[in-house]
Amino acid sequence: MSNEVESAQVSDAMEVAQLSSLAAVDSHAGSCEAEMPSRLLNDAVRSLPYHVVKDLLSIGVCSRCVLRILGTEDHIYCHSSFSQSMLCSVLEEVTGFKSECDFQFCSVCLGVLQLIYRDDKETLVKMESPNDMALVIAELVKKEGHQIDGFSLEVSIPQFILENESSLLSGMKKRYESEPWLQERLLSKCVSVKDVLKFAITKPLETLLDTKASASSFRIRLAYTHKMAFGNSVERNQGFKRRKIGTENGLQNVNDESVVANKDCSDYPTNETIAVTGRSSLKVPIDKVSEPCHLVYLCYRTHIYLCGRYLKYSRNVSQTRWIIDEERMGEASVEEIIGSNILPMCRGDNYKFHAAGREDIDVRMLGSGRPFLLEIQNARQVPSEETVKEIESKINGLENKLVGVKNLQVVGSQGWTLMREGEAEKQKQYCALVWISRPLEDEDVCSISLLNDMQILQKTPIRVLHRRSPLERKKIIYWMKIERIAESSQYFLLHLCTQAGTYIKEFVHGDFGRTQPSIGSILGCRAEILQLDVTDVKMDSE
Amino acid sequence: MSDVMVDHTQKLEETAVPNNLEQQDKQDEEQPQQSVQENAEYEDEELHKHLVPDIIQLPLIPPSAVEFNFASYFAPDFMKPGNDQYVYRHANGLCVVGLASTHLAFKDKGGITAVDFNVGKSDRSGMKVTGKRKKNAQHFESNTALCKVCTNGDSYIVRCCVKGSLLEVNERLIKQPELLHSSADREGYIAIIMPKPADWLKVKASLLSLEEFKKLRVLC
Repeated sequence: MSNEVESAQVSDAMEVAQLSSLAAVDSHAGSCEAEMPSRLLNDAVRSLPYHVVKDLLSIGVCSRCVLRILGTEDHIYCHSSFSQSMLCSVLEEVTGFKSECDFQFCSVCLGVLQLIYRDDKETLVKMESPNDMALVIAELVKKEGHQIDGFSLEVSIPQFILENESSLLSGMKKRYESEPWLQERLLSKCVSVKDVLKFAITKPLETLLDTKASASSFRIRLAYTHKMAFGNSVERNQGFKRRKIGTENGLQNVNDESVVANKDCSDYPTNETIAVTGRSSLKVPIDKVSEPCHLVYLCYRTHIYLCGRYLKYSRNVSQTRWIIDEERMGEASVEEIIGSNILPMCRGDNYKFHAAGREDIDVRMLGSGRPFLLEIQNARQVPSEETVKEIESKINGLENKLVGVKNLQVVGSQGWTLMREGEAEKQKQYCALVWISRPLEDEDVCSISLLNDMQILQKTPIRVLHRRSPLERKKIIYWMKIERIAESSQYFLLHLCTQAGTYIKEFVHGDFGRTQPSIGSILGCRAEILQLDVTDVKMDSE
Repeated sequence: MSDVMVDHTQKLEETAVPNNLEQQDKQDEEQPQQSVQENAEYEDEELHKHLVPDIIQLPLIPPSAVEFNFASYFAPDFMKPGNDQYVYRHANGLCVVGLASTHLAFKDKGGITAVDFNVGKSDRSGMKVTGKRKKNAQHFESNTALCKVCTNGDSYIVRCCVKGSLLEVNERLIKQPELLHSSADREGYIAIIMPKPADWLKVKASLLSLEEFKKLRVLC
């Protein structure tokens, strides 16, 4: 008895101390809230059905979960300065509950709302207030060097916690079904563990990061996992069944094993059930929780995109990194030149290069350029318009002049639609250096220029037949123009505009007659192609 | 060089792409500023400078697509005297097979009259190979018959020369056997075969290079 009195006195003293510290907090935060937070809390606590609070505390539900499940508004108990121990003692004080055995971790939220977790080094961490967690996050953001103008906070918790909660709630509804407070407090959905934690951390985080929580590409994620959550759900359910035997709710035991197991009742820790005659027992499906959740703090930016058009001036540069047997083909790639110049300016982890179509390594990309999209993963910084212009100049000013860039800009996810447009349906314009086995006549120049919207049939070129389906593809040559080259009777430039997907080289030399017609067959002689340049990739949007 | 450039600019106007000009006209209607058209013209000129080649650098007769992209091999007297065939192998492993110019069939006075792919157990022209994995392709040995080439007096069996999957036969030869005369080494090819790397190495040892073949047949 004396113990109780003493502890009551101690807790009184604690409460006084807490309240006075709260008072200090209040005077500081006074301008934000209409009433002092501590008073709101005390009022809320005193309005709770005490016997229920006691019941819950005795089966190991933590104070925040108690308040939450009984419908208290989150801003009342989520003030960032309200510490764990303070909330706990306020509840115990008011309801006269004395916790006998130490429930380390909440049987519903597994310690999440008690701000207890195991970190990545397996150390047990017990935070006193949400503010402390916000500090850890802010440190991480700073360490990663992120430049942000907003953040989006996400919390993920094991499904297990929701299962705990719903089985507790249904137990409570049965047990207290006739009581008056039930309607008001329980039947409307209670705030979730995730939302409470987010609410508690958001304000201090906004202050520390000096920015607002919003729908942002910068994500802060608290990922909670629990060993038991990975266990065989069959195992869990069997354990579940075992304990449910004996409730008046008539949950039938389907499993004979469970009946046998039930006989060893003495094994069960009695503190998890409240045996009250005539009333159903309040249970949570798991035993004393012996392990808290594992928490990983993550902060990252979702993909940012830069789009533009590239030009390729070299006949020895591939579009993407091309390596065969550890040897690089060509001297460089468009992808690497552009990516390696942009990635450091964004301080990102990685990049992915996408282009609207492609050209061979020995084909130059000139004229308006080919649209491309560069995806940057986890950029620490979104480049400004000015920086983007600098990047463009830098790439265009590179000494080796292999690649050029136009219209570089940061875009949102609409960048993808721009890419898709350029792919299948569009027309492409080329200039080919052609040689024929006899002198070029004026007639030839004329007849070629008269061929408009000519359909050709191309069997899959032999050079790609090893990796593509053998098909016959219909393609359209929209127009052609021969440009004579002075001092040569057998070489000329062929300008042509074709449907996307047309193999130009094969259209010139005929590919063993497998492309019909071909320049050779039209001019009635042998034709060879020496050089090819892409001079335009037509896009609707421009 | 600059003279050449001037000439080209003039020629470009004559043979210039009508579509481009039309587009420029439209642009003019929408944006009646001189500078837009000037810019477009300037860009075209800049582009054009890139396109025109340096003639001096170009060879009189360039290598053909086949010479450039394929390695040529020959099988003289394959299975029978006078049965000279070629195997053109692409860097990707695919082999185009056909009649070498020294094949006996070309010496026949009447010329080649017909090509028949219905030899052996099946009609080679009837098979359909589909998909990237080349499903339904028949696996043939190097001595498997591909087709029969008929002349007025005689007929000759053309064989694979390379063990592998038959991807395609040149069906045009059925209606146009004269392709063998006009260009047996291009439009007159017989078939395309895909050997496994190991099988290729085995057969390669028994084939001759172009140089060796020329010496053998005493060609220029």
